[in-house]
This record gives sequence, C-alpha cells and structure tokens, in this order.
Amino acid sequence: MLKIRKRDEPWKWGALVVFLGALLFSLAVSGLLLEGQGKDAIYGLTVLWQGSFGSLWSLEDVLLKAIPLFLCSLGVAVAFRMQLWNIGAEGQFALGAIGATWMALSFPDLPRFVLLPLMFVMAFILGGAWALIPAFLKLKLRVNEIISTLMLNYIAILLLDYLVFGVWKDPASFGFPMTPEFTEGAIIPGIGGSRVHWGIFFCVAVGVGLWAFMRFTRLGFELKASGEGARVARYAKIRYGMLVLFVMGLSGGFAGWAGCVETSAILNRLQPSLMVGYGYTAIVVAWLARLEPLNIAFASFLLAALRVGVENMQLKLQIPAAFGTIMEGVILLTVLAGQFFLTYKLVRKPRQE
Amino acid sequence: MWEFLIPLFAATVQSGTPILYATLGEMLTEKGGVLNLGVEGMMALAALAAFWTSLVTGSPWLGFVAGGCAGMLLASLHAFVCISCLGNQVVSGLALTILGGGLTHFLGVPYVGLAAPGFDPFDFPLLSQIPGVGEIFFKHDMLVYLSFIIPFLFWFFFRRTSLGLHVAATGEMPAAAAAVGLKPIRLRYFAVIAGGFLVGLGGAYLSLAYTHLWTNGLSGGRGWIAVALVIFAFWRPGRAVAGAYLFGGVMAFQLRLQAAGTHLPSSLLLMLPYLLTILVLILSAWRGRRIDAPAALGTNIEPEG
Amino acid sequence: MTDLQYVRPVRTRPLAKDARPVVSLKGLTKRFGKVVANDAITLDVYPGRIKALLGENGAGKSTMMSMLAGRYKPDEGTIEVDGRPVRFNSSKDAIQAGIGMVYQHFMLVDSMTVAENVLLGQEGSFFVSPREMEHRVGELAERYGLNIKPGERICDLSMGERQLVEILKLLYRESRILIFDEPTAVLTPEETRNLFEALWRMTEQGKSIIFISHKLEEVIALADEIAILRRGRIEGELDPESIESKADLASRMVGKEVLLEVDRQPAEIGDTVLEVRNLTGLGLTEVDLDVRRGEVVALVGVAGNGQKALVEAVTGLTKPPLDTVFIMGQPWRKFFAESTWNRSMCYIPEDRLGLATLPNQNLVDNLLLTTRKGFAKGLWLDKKKAAKHTVRLIEKFDIRPGRIHALAWQLSGGNLQKAVLARELYREPKLIVAEQPTQGLDVSATEEVWKRLLEARSMAGVLLVTGDLNEALQLADRIAVIYRGRILDVLDNTDKDTFRKIGPLMAGIVD
Repeated sequence: MLKIRKRDEPWKWGALVVFLGALLFSLAVSGLLLEGQGKDAIYGLTVLWQGSFGSLWSLEDVLLKAIPLFLCSLGVAVAFRMQLWNIGAEGQFALGAIGATWMALSFPDLPRFVLLPLMFVMAFILGGAWALIPAFLKLKLRVNEIISTLMLNYIAILLLDYLVFGVWKDPASFGFPMTPEFTEGAIIPGIGGSRVHWGIFFCVAVGVGLWAFMRFTRLGFELKASGEGARVARYAKIRYGMLVLFVMGLSGGFAGWAGCVETSAILNRLQPSLMVGYGYTAIVVAWLARLEPLNIAFASFLLAALRVGVENMQLKLQIPAAFGTIMEGVILLTVLAGQFFLTYKLVRKPRQE
Repeated sequence: MWEFLIPLFAATVQSGTPILYATLGEMLTEKGGVLNLGVEGMMALAALAAFWTSLVTGSPWLGFVAGGCAGMLLASLHAFVCISCLGNQVVSGLALTILGGGLTHFLGVPYVGLAAPGFDPFDFPLLSQIPGVGEIFFKHDMLVYLSFIIPFLFWFFFRRTSLGLHVAATGEMPAAAAAVGLKPIRLRYFAVIAGGFLVGLGGAYLSLAYTHLWTNGLSGGRGWIAVALVIFAFWRPGRAVAGAYLFGGVMAFQLRLQAAGTHLPSSLLLMLPYLLTILVLILSAWRGRRIDAPAALGTNIEPEG
Repeated sequence: MTDLQYVRPVRTRPLAKDARPVVSLKGLTKRFGKVVANDAITLDVYPGRIKALLGENGAGKSTMMSMLAGRYKPDEGTIEVDGRPVRFNSSKDAIQAGIGMVYQHFMLVDSMTVAENVLLGQEGSFFVSPREMEHRVGELAERYGLNIKPGERICDLSMGERQLVEILKLLYRESRILIFDEPTAVLTPEETRNLFEALWRMTEQGKSIIFISHKLEEVIALADEIAILRRGRIEGELDPESIESKADLASRMVGKEVLLEVDRQPAEIGDTVLEVRNLTGLGLTEVDLDVRRGEVVALVGVAGNGQKALVEAVTGLTKPPLDTVFIMGQPWRKFFAESTWNRSMCYIPEDRLGLATLPNQNLVDNLLLTTRKGFAKGLWLDKKKAAKHTVRLIEKFDIRPGRIHALAWQLSGGNLQKAVLARELYREPKLIVAEQPTQGLDVSATEEVWKRLLEARSMAGVLLVTGDLNEALQLADRIAVIYRGRILDVLDNTDKDTFRKIGPLMAGIVD
C-alpha cells in the first residue's frame, strides 16, 4: 500500500529529474503521434534534433528565437512569483512591437544610437501600460487578471492588424499588410558577421539585473514575500498595491522589449506574422524554470531549440508547426504532474493484518 | 424593425448555444472546487473529434457524443495533474489549452475545408408557430433544444440530488465533506470529468451545427468567454443562460454588421466580444459577493497522514 | 480550591461492577515520521460517562482521537467496540460504528443550511427535498432540546449554534460515543453552560462523551474520569473527586511544578501609547480605550464581537474614522505614514502561519518580514547580517529546530509563536498588540510567552486580545470586555470581584 507523505525538505535534484523525465516523456508521446500519422518516429525525431543543433546556422537560429522568448519569460516569471497570473505576455509583446514601430516610423532619420534606445523605451512603456490595465482592474475592481490579460491579448493582436492594414500600411507592399521597412537606424545590428544580434547582450544584462534585484534588494524580498498572499503583505506593511503595479508594469515592459527586438532585428518591419506565440511559450518556460532568472535562460534556449527543430520538421516532413505546441503542452503537463515528487514522496506501508 | 430584430435574436440563440454548454460545463467543474482554464483547448479538440466521428460514421449524434468524450479526455488529464498530483490549477489549465489547441491544429490538417453531416434546424412542432417567440427559440437544430433543458438539469442536480449536494460541499469545504465520510477526491474527479463532457458538447456544436465545415480557429475565444461567464453568473445556471445569449447576441450582431459592410474596420468590430468580456467581469466583481464563489475554488486538497 | 462555576446536578452514577466498556483502546501507537505521537495507549470508555482527556499540546490527544474517529490509522494496537476489534479505513467506518467527533474548527459548509449540513452524506436517497430534510432535522433537534432552526444558513449562525449543528450531525448518525475537541474555546459562559447541560442529558440517554480540554476547571466539573496524556502516553487516570487543586492537576499533567499563576510585579507606568477615542464605525460603537507604557490591557470577549475590527483599525490594516485612533500621540494617518520599523508598534496576530509568517520560507526570511528596513542599506538588503541575528534569536528564545533554514510550516505551534515574538520584540516596540498569543500552546510554552510579554512592559504597553479569561486575569492590569462592538466596561484587575464580573459582561449582560 502506498501512502503520500510530505517531505521535510524539498528534493534537491528533483527539479532536474522531473525536467528530464518530462522531456523524455514528451518526446515519446510525440514519437507516438508521428507514428499515428504514418511517419517514422525515429526519423522524425532525428530531423527535430538536426533542425535544432545540426549546424551553426541552426544554432544561430535557436539563439535568435531564444532572445525574445527569454525576455517574455522573465516578465511572466516575475509576475507569477507574486501569484499574478499574467497570461497577457503575447499582447504585451504586440504592444511593444507597436511602440517600437511607432518610433521607427516617426523618426526614421535619427542615428541608431538615438533611435534604438528610443524604440526600446517606447516598447517598454506601451508593453508595460498594456499590463497595467489588468493590474488596475485587479486592484481597484477585483477583476480576475487571468481573463483580463487574456482578452487584452486578442485585442492587442486586432489592434496590430488594424494599424498594419490601415494607417501604417506600406504603400509599396501591394496590399500585403505590413509597414514600410525600417531604416538602418532602427535595426539592431548583428554581432560581427553572424546573424546573432546585440540583443543577446541586452538579454544577459536584463537577466543578471533581475536576478540581482530579486536576490539582493529590499523590493525583491518584498516581491517574494507578497507571493504568499496579499494578507501577509499588508501585515508586513508592504505596499502591496504599488508592488502589483510595479511588477505588472515590469512584466509587460519585458514582453514589450521582446516585441521590440523581434520587430527591429528579425522582421525589420511590423507585420502580423510577428505573432508566433512567444507569449504563451513563455509561460511554459517560466514554469519549467521554476520562476528563476538563471534557469529561464536555459529553458528558453531549449524551447527555442524545439521551435527551430519543428521548423525543420515542417520542411522535411510536412509536419504542421502545431507539433511544437503539442510538445510544449505535454512537457508542461508532465512537469506539473512530476513536481508532485518535489514536495511529496510515496511511502510503502505494510498492510495490516 | 422587428424584421431585423427577430432574426437577430434567433441568431443570438444559435450563437449562444455552444457558449452555454461550455459555461455550464465549467461551472460544474468549479462547483466542485477545481478551476479548469483549458476550456478553449477542450472545445477545439472536441469540435475536431465530433467532426471526424461524424464524417467517418455518418452519424452526427455519434459525433456529438464523441465531442463530449474528447472534452472528458482532456479534462481527465487536468484532473489527474491537479487532484492527484496537486499541480497548480491555473498553470495546468493553461497547459491544457496549449495542448488542446496544438492537437486540434495538428490532427485537423487533412480535414480543413471538408464538410461532415451535422444538425440542421427544424421547426419544433406547435411551439414554432407562436409569433415572435416561436421564431426566436423554436426554429433551431436539436442540440439547441437540448441546451434548453441543461440549465434546468443543472439546477435540479445541485438542489434536489444528494450527489449534487456532495459535489457542492466539496467545492466549499472538502474537509467538511471528508468529515462526514464522503470522498472529496472522487467527487472532484467527477465534477471535472462531467464538466469536461459538457464543455466538449459545446465544442461539438461548433463543428456539427454552427457550421458543417472544418476550419482552424473554430472556437475563437469562446472557451475563455465561458470561463468569464461562470463568474458573471455567480455560479448559478440561470444567469449563465443570460450571459451566454448576451455574447451570442454580440457575436451575431458583429457578423451582421460585417456582412452589411459598415465603415468600421473589421478589426475593431472583432474586438467587441473581448471588450465585452472585460466589461462583464468588471460588473460582476462590482456587484458580486464573496459568498458566491465556491470557497475552496482553486485550492488543492492536501493529503493527510 | 477556587470557586467552580458549574455544578453537576447529579453526581456520577457509580460504575456497575460488571460494566463493560463500549470502546477500548489497546496498545494504540501512531508515528509520524520519527515522532511517536501516541505510544501504546490503553484506555476504556464506559457508556453514560464523560471522560476528559487532559494534556499539553503535542501530548497526543488530537492524534488519539483522530484514530478513534477514523481519520488516521494506527500503526500498532487495536480498537475494540463492544468488545470486538474493529478497523476504521475512514471516518465513515467510525461513524458507522457509532463514534463521532466534533472538531475544534467546525466542519460546516457556510453557504448551506443546517439541514443540508446535518444530513450531508446521510440523505437517504438520490433525490432530496429541502422541506423534507428540514422536517427531519427539526424533529431531531426538538428531541434533544436543541434550539436550532433547520432552514437557516450556517453563515448566519453564532458559534454556539454552529456547535449545536455539529452535535446534531452526530446525533443523527446515532453516535453512541461523542468526542469533543476543545468545545468551549469559542463559547460564552452562558453557551458553555448550555453545552454542559446538553452533554449531561446525552449521558442520561446512555451516550458516552470524551472531551479534550486544557481548561482544568471545566474538566474537574464535567468529567467522570480524567485521563492524563503526556508525551504520547497515558500517565494515569483520575477520579475528579480526588483532585485537590487546579495546580495539583496541572502538575500531574505536565509532570513538573507548574504555576499556572504568573508572578506579576507591577511595572512602572509611562505615557500613553495607544488611545482610542469614541470610535464608531467598522462594526464598533463608541469605543474608548487607552494603553500606557508598562501596563497590559486585556480585551476579552467571545470571538466575533468586534475584536478583529478593533485590532485591524489599531494595527493599520483598515482605516478608522478620523480622529479616533491615536498611536503614541499621533493621529492614525500620520503615525502610519511616518512609522519606522522599530521603536513603534508591532502586531502579533492570531493567525501565526498564514499571516504573521511566510509558511514556505525559512526563518531568516521570516525575520526580515517586518524588520527588513532595519537591514536595508539603500536599496540593498544585508542578508548576512539578518542571518546572524536570526541565529542569535533562535538561541535566545530556544526555538526548535535550531536551523535557520527551517521553513516556517515545519515549526510547531509553540516554536512558531516564539519565533514571531522574538522577531517583534527585536523591533523594540512601544506598543504591542498580541492576539490570542497562547492559543493552542502547551503549558510550558504558554508560560514562556507570558513571561516575555510581561518583560516587554519595560519598554512597551501591551494590548492583549484574548478569549482566555485566565490569561487575561494573569497578565492584565485592566480588562476591557467587548460585546457586539461595544466596550461594556473596563475592569481593574486588582479588584477581587473582577473574575465574577467578566462572565456576564462577555454575554452582554450589564447590570
């Protein structure tokens, strides 16, 4: 007979074991899915691997995808730590892109060292503002932030469509919804000759900054304390309301930066194909990384690799991109189930005679 | 004026029906104390399952049931993760949405654009003759008529059956249920899985009655609207009907406006349901009372020695 | 012996020579990890008798009763009902065997009616009718003389009425053995008397009662037999007639000379640290109260009579009307806008785990919770310094386990309270608001907490909010009694009659 018992101390290596277990399980399930579709699972998974890690080109691709994912995930994690369920990273990402585009289109002739920071600032402001709306609704009107952030996702995407089909449409685009291409000053350059751009250093800076903030500052401590609930926060005279606004603003701002980076460095313009679901994958990354900034770097890399690999599968095996989404969902569910073993263990008890 | 309004109201009923099924399904789950945010993914997968079954067997009724089963299947994953593995209910629901959405896209590829046998509207004998009301409520397909009884069954279940009282007690205070010898874990599984079935029926409606075609993105956010509506309804079935038809109406209205070719850009029009959802949440939070929500909603039942 | 408030009408029926126990515990043992909660417990319960279980917290009373009630399974030993061994897999089995428990925290669904709660799990059929259920429950209540309306919702009932509902649940299931866990903790003296009379009536009908209490006076008055539990073992059983004094009973319970009375030396009274002037609002009416440095002012009353509102207003969790609350001479708003982390006010709440501490964080983080500004240098937090102080405080207050990385939820009630106390006293407060500080603590932990609170008078004034009359009488200089949001009177504790006056005041009786 198996009984459940709470562990006295959380299982140290458990997180890693659970993570690897989830990964393997998810690969197995995906393999089965492939077989079910009449494709060879082993071949499919090799294509996946090749796609992610097979060449320098693909590794560059992975890094390029990891950058916006990392930024979004940081934002999601910082909010989740306070039990603020910000599902709106996708919409905040879009608003950040809109903000960056606004600056790029309004001041195309500014030199890069002025224009790029301007774009980043505006992306942060708009992304942060988009997250502050549900934050205010939660504080003042007790509106559940899960649904409000989600609804704003849909609205943000429609807003982006509206702008790109309307006032910002490139006259030279033959009716395709997209803005004119950005000028030199609005594009983040690549490092040396590679495709990987300076955004990666930006990520490192932001990541380290957040980590230090959480670990060493008083506000970081208050954030952690507030994660146990608003009541304790009020007891400890933590200004909970201000903290909620701060955290949500930061969360949206980070996602906004991700949007800025994508628009500037990858697409060089604003168009609907910008929205590839980084905001949702960010939730998976954040949870896998147990909301820690250092782990998020690793997890973003991994999930970016998954995306790149799946692209390769699309190419070689005509597998729809949704395959990657399925894997993400399975990984998250498995990790959630496996995390049971971090706090509890199964104990064998002798049957009583 | 009535020539415009009556067809609009009739479209409201049809458009609101999948939302009604889904809302009541989620409400059942939440009454048991579990939050299931995977409704959107469940509806999508259920729509596909229903479509495929109907296509392959030729029977829309089998398809309808298959949709419910697909909803049940996904819901049982959520139940296992949250109830047995004590996983975070919010994140698990999100994972379900991601998974459900992905599976639907992935498996639905060969069927895009195809049509399957579905449910067609017919005139309900006698009742459809009533002027006004008859046109609005009684010229629909069988699934709509079925949806008229479900809210009543829901009410009856929770107020006039012992099982319903047990589920409600579990959602309010699992410890109290356990103290009198009930099994809160089993009751929660029931609430989640049965609720998942209802949600699946809502998804099935989309591919079997609302349209007969398979396309991507059929659920279009309805799953999330259902979650919001449970709050709006203060966890009571009567208000759920009102809410579902409200949204049905907005969506029907939106379609008509688009078809009529207004000057408003379509993107802004499409925002209507989502803006309305936020508005509805604000209103509910403003007028709702603490005691409406099941007290143990969202919490997990810790195991004891 | 101090005056007893309760006199049993008919003294115990002498136990017949050949009376067989209705329930027998034989060698019952239960372990939680390495801790042996119950060690070879052997106990007999006879029909129509009341047995009291006395013991410190952590002695194993609740564990033992939980096994009897079917909540836990024993690791060794047997339970016998009517002479036959039984095994309970769940509380349902225990209920079917005739054993029912009324827990300290009521297991009632607030939003449902009395009838629905009583019949939960026992409805009798798949289809139910509210009217029929209310009829059934109404009949049962009448039969036992319990004054309860079956159609009312639990959220609208008082604590005493809710307890009656719990009792009804057991009576409906025809429990022959009723177990009560600290039943009078939430009752007024009047309600306590009603409860005792109800219990005596039930014993006349042949039911057996086991009740767990730490209130020695009630135990002596109510019980036919007293079983003393210490460190998981039955230390002995007593006949209440053989007890000489409360202190005698207490020492047998703890095994050492324990003075339940604290030697309270009057302290030097200083300036006013808290002044509440004519506070009306938030559920309170015309409340006047003041606390000065060096004194302990107790606020007593049955739970739910406005204490929470007053405490929340004083501690800054809710906003009181203007010009009603003054802390250290400053109006409320000004005080909270300008207060520093130390040398001001501290609050020791009733809810130790969920409010005063972060359950899933370690002791250092919990120290920082209210002292963080004292370890802050600009934006940065000096965690090393905080860790050092945590070690020092753990030693000074003897908090176990002694590791700074222990998580708050892992600490026992007594140690957690000591930790909270240590932290708040570290802040050198001038006003201490302590809410039920010794609730659920065993006698030695209670003594320690009392000692510290009295020591704290040298730097602070203490507002002690408690439902434990003995605590108030031991610690306070003045006792304010609150009832339905009003302070009915403030009694001087040097007056010998105070003890007698408090009871009626708590029930709202003003003469």
